[in-house]
Amino acid sequence: MAKEGSGSILQFAPFQSSVDEGFWHRLSSLKLNKFGIDDSPIPISGFFAPCSHPQVSNYLTLLAESLPSDSNEESSIPAFNRGNRNRCSVPGILYNTNTMESFHGLDKQGLLKAEAKKIWEDIHSGKVLEDSAVLSRFLLISFADLKKWSFHYWFAFPALILDPPATLVDLRPASQWFTLEEAESVSTACNEWRNSSVTADVPFFLVSVGSDSRAAVRHLKDWETCQDDGQKLLFAFYDPCHLPNNPGWPLRNFLAFICARWNLKTVHFLCYRENRGFADLSLSLVGEALITISQGWREHQCVPNAVGWELNKGRKVPRCINLAKSMDPTRLAISAADLNLKLMRWRALPSLNLDILFSIKCLLLGAGTLGCQVARMLMAWGVRKITLVDNGRVAMSNPLRQSLYTLDDCLNGGDFKATAAVRSLQRIFPAVVAEGVVMAIPMPGHPVSSQEENSVLEDCRRLNDLIGSHDVIFLLTDTRESRWLPTLLCANTNKITITAALGFDSFLVMRHGPGPFNSTPDLKVEMPNSLSDVLDNLALTNTDGKQRLGCYFCNDVVAPTDSTSNRTLDQQCTVTRPGLAPIASALAVELLVGILHHPYGIFAEAEIANSNNGGSSELPLGILPHQIRGSLPHFQQMTLVGHSSNSCTACCSTVVSEYRKRGMQFILQAINHPTFLEDLTGLTELMRSANTFQLDWDDEIEDADDECIEL
Amino acid sequence: HPWLASPEEEGYLSLENICISRPYEVDIDQNSQTDPGEEETSCSEKEDDIDDATLVQSNHHELHYCDFHIVYSYTFRVPVLYLRAYCSDGRPLLLDEIEKELPACSSKESPETKWAFITQEEHPYLKRPWYKLHPCGTSEFMKLLFLGGDTGQPKLEVVLELYLLSWFSAVGQVVGLRIPCKMLNDRR
Repeated sequence: MAKEGSGSILQFAPFQSSVDEGFWHRLSSLKLNKFGIDDSPIPISGFFAPCSHPQVSNYLTLLAESLPSDSNEESSIPAFNRGNRNRCSVPGILYNTNTMESFHGLDKQGLLKAEAKKIWEDIHSGKVLEDSAVLSRFLLISFADLKKWSFHYWFAFPALILDPPATLVDLRPASQWFTLEEAESVSTACNEWRNSSVTADVPFFLVSVGSDSRAAVRHLKDWETCQDDGQKLLFAFYDPCHLPNNPGWPLRNFLAFICARWNLKTVHFLCYRENRGFADLSLSLVGEALITISQGWREHQCVPNAVGWELNKGRKVPRCINLAKSMDPTRLAISAADLNLKLMRWRALPSLNLDILFSIKCLLLGAGTLGCQVARMLMAWGVRKITLVDNGRVAMSNPLRQSLYTLDDCLNGGDFKATAAVRSLQRIFPAVVAEGVVMAIPMPGHPVSSQEENSVLEDCRRLNDLIGSHDVIFLLTDTRESRWLPTLLCANTNKITITAALGFDSFLVMRHGPGPFNSTPDLKVEMPNSLSDVLDNLALTNTDGKQRLGCYFCNDVVAPTDSTSNRTLDQQCTVTRPGLAPIASALAVELLVGILHHPYGIFAEAEIANSNNGGSSELPLGILPHQIRGSLPHFQQMTLVGHSSNSCTACCSTVVSEYRKRGMQFILQAINHPTFLEDLTGLTELMRSANTFQLDWDDEIEDADDECIEL
Repeated sequence: HPWLASPEEEGYLSLENICISRPYEVDIDQNSQTDPGEEETSCSEKEDDIDDATLVQSNHHELHYCDFHIVYSYTFRVPVLYLRAYCSDGRPLLLDEIEKELPACSSKESPETKWAFITQEEHPYLKRPWYKLHPCGTSEFMKLLFLGGDTGQPKLEVVLELYLLSWFSAVGQVVGLRIPCKMLNDRR
């Protein structure tokens, strides 16, 4: 629509900025590798193009290429970027500060004035005639917070203020201002200008139309030669704006230049816009502006005032962008880790429950050969919360078999295993929530003196708290007796408990059955909520424990006792074939994942491989055994079932209720007098009646040739 | 929007600045979470940064744009579609925001359909995280496309020519890119 009437102030649509992610990446890289704390201003290039869509304005864009190269060979001054038809290059300057305070403390007024002055100089020196893009010079201030990967920034597009402001006499689509013939010729000429690599990125030019309706596009410096014979002469510029009633921002400094240089009072201008890569004269605008030059403009020294700080959604505040998700290596590692598991779910295992794996809390008692491997396997499955308990230090022989340690951990007497393990896990996957607890596990058969009593009780309580605050407990220590107390505490609270134990060339991996009592303080992780109803109907745990699956001690007829003293050296050091620990650890973790995906969780019944009842192969992860016993000499593995024993020293109802009644005193008694447990559970009786047997118990582990026990 | 050849020697195809959403008014409040720590301090109080000659617009159109690259994967030996999306001011969009705009994901099916598994990985040339359509299904469905015809065994030259087009006809659907019929007809 034509806008008639003198006296209305010509209003320009401000430039809008758009910063490509790559710009911030390169700036970060330059800061870290080249500039350091040097905060001198950096020359940069911006890019824009004429509007190419009737409803959307174009932006002044910053890309990675806007900044100097971050490779070491090239100089840090960019060659002035040659643009192309899609990217008109515009010079700018970046002030990047080192702190937020200095960002806010920048003298914005002063900086804007300085850039305005450069434009003013270029106008008067004639630089504009050579390289008109300098009329659109811009300013950027920023603060790059490289710890949080957030970037605060603010653009200014300095525009020299005409005082009084220019007024608009007329503004209409170009197709309505030219005759049909003229329009066609203008379009052709402009398209040629845009297609030539020499002129495609020259954003300010002249369009002259002769009386023969023939149009020509000329450089600004040819202005004098266009003065004759009643031609129509338009001052044209690439207009990023799409609005029908307003020209874009570049016109401001263009008008300032025209009136300062050539002293014109009336200016006919062409806002050049395109559609689909070709000149569009119905989108483009032709207007007539009246300029009144104030006195100050004749004096070169007096720089006019300027405006141009970009508004942020209408407010005079800087912008901020956070790129942690695409720049922070930890986040990238997390999403890469997730990718693997999600791929697995997508391609092979749609019922994989990744949420439960991400949220479950695992407690590993022992950070040795088994502990290190279990921790790694857990992380591979997406488990993020791992606590390791071990009171030992890393010895020189450890790194070979204990996969979280290296030589550095052994130096100076050796770091605590629990601490070194956590460090190692964090190096592998920074997002892991790992904690190390340096603590000894109180053991029956290792009596404590009265001075030590308090600290032992403290350890017991601490162990109890740890077990209470985790969902899954792995028993990975190197003696049988050290597993007793954790087993009892887990049975008391119905926590998922997995034991792995090694012989010289055989191993045992098993999941403990639920405890003897039904009350479960915290089952929300092991089972979905709907299952609690099912369980109330399903009397899976009876007080006589007949149906429950057994624990590590259920098959023992002696209470755990001191297995470490009075042994020969080779029996004291746990010597096992190196391949066993990785195998057993891997099976332990796979067993856990199976439990987590079983609808009954800890209450799941045991299945045996090749069972006759058809097995549960409807479960996508396969069967869920109770015990896996493996033998390396035979390269063989068996799945076995063992139900709980009423006389179990660790998990039978007698023991657990005694613990519930007497708490730590009971524990202390069991620690100091192992025969106490045997008496309590009736094992003493059992032994007397079984004196015909010749039993040769290996105190370290169950004998691998034990027959399958099925009640 | 023209396809541009990239300046690298070993190149990739790129199609950039595709607008993937309609302009809609953005409520200033709802965007406040995209500007964390937006400061209260404003520009200098002394001067007026908006002079009479500056047009102040009250509505702010938020548009989303998408860049697409086709890169050859040596590991999988198939082309792979990489994409990334961003707002008009350059802020990158996250996957859940992109999925709202892409047709395959806005359909009733779960976004992880058989062919459309979108993952975030490092762009092999630009070394920055982009999203890509995971290629492990590609050779399967390409086999289907080529063996499914009833014209017998196609000649190798024809197969190679048509490969990228056929591949793209399947993959492009996920992100709402379609091959103009003219391009398909011109093959004859």
